[in-house]
Amino acid sequence: MKLQAFLLWGTDDVKPPEGKAYKPVAPEIRLKLKDLPLKWTNWFEVNRKDFSLAQSATKEVPISDKCTLNLTRFIHHEVEITLIGKGKEVVKRKQSLPKGEMLVLGGNAPNSTAWLLVLKRLE
Amino acid sequence: MDYNEQLRLQAFLDGELPEAEASKVANWLARDREAAAMLEELRHTCDALAGSEEGIQLPESREFFWSKVQREIQRLEAPAPRSAPAPLFARWRRFLVPASALALVFVAAVWLIQPAGQTGGTAAGDIETALANAGAFTYRDYSAGATLVWISYPADNEIAESDEMGTVD
Repeated sequence: MKLQAFLLWGTDDVKPPEGKAYKPVAPEIRLKLKDLPLKWTNWFEVNRKDFSLAQSATKEVPISDKCTLNLTRFIHHEVEITLIGKGKEVVKRKQSLPKGEMLVLGGNAPNSTAWLLVLKRLE
Repeated sequence: MDYNEQLRLQAFLDGELPEAEASKVANWLARDREAAAMLEELRHTCDALAGSEEGIQLPESREFFWSKVQREIQRLEAPAPRSAPAPLFARWRRFLVPASALALVFVAAVWLIQPAGQTGGTAAGDIETALANAGAFTYRDYSAGATLVWISYPADNEIAESDEMGTVD
């Protein structure tokens, strides 16, 4: 199972904060985010990780200095995702993730912005 | 004179009696004045009616009219055609339609009933185990193939830095 994890930052500003070289989110991700009930108009990619997950395997994927994604693959397309922030479990979710499917974890960030962790299955 | 004797006299007058019976009535009339008077009265009545009743002219010939009546009688008396036995599917459909409706209602009920503490459109196959924050909101968009889990943390959460830039790295 090939997966991509994106850490995104959402804002109504047209450009990222000064000093941060965030690039705009990939068009295919942006299109899917438009269908979700998210109020922010612009999304920037903070980080991206590509990785594979073998059957019945568990993998730890650091997304940023502060957060890590733990994934465990089960039978069929089932995956358990645990988001760890500053050493604490933020959210744990187990769901089916077939090819092309996307899981978006998100929350509010300071100054009326938002963060998103997008997990997309490529294969 | 009883009713049957009056009918015999009427039949005699109309010429509807067989020859032997008519002969008997004639002998009876010769002996019985009351019967003869009754016959005369019936004859006068017939004559009066024959003169005053206008014939009804049918728009079609007598034969055609009665042939129509005969055809209608035959049509009504004809046995109903035996319907061919319904195909197996048609017979099963009587049970399949309500059973399918019940199944759909059951699936819809399972689909719509959400576990407590969770909102949005979560697919039936998804299992959400423990959540660090019970105030999470889940939204499922089937057309986009995306599931959103929104964690209602305050802005200064473990993911986002609480600096003035509001960065997430």
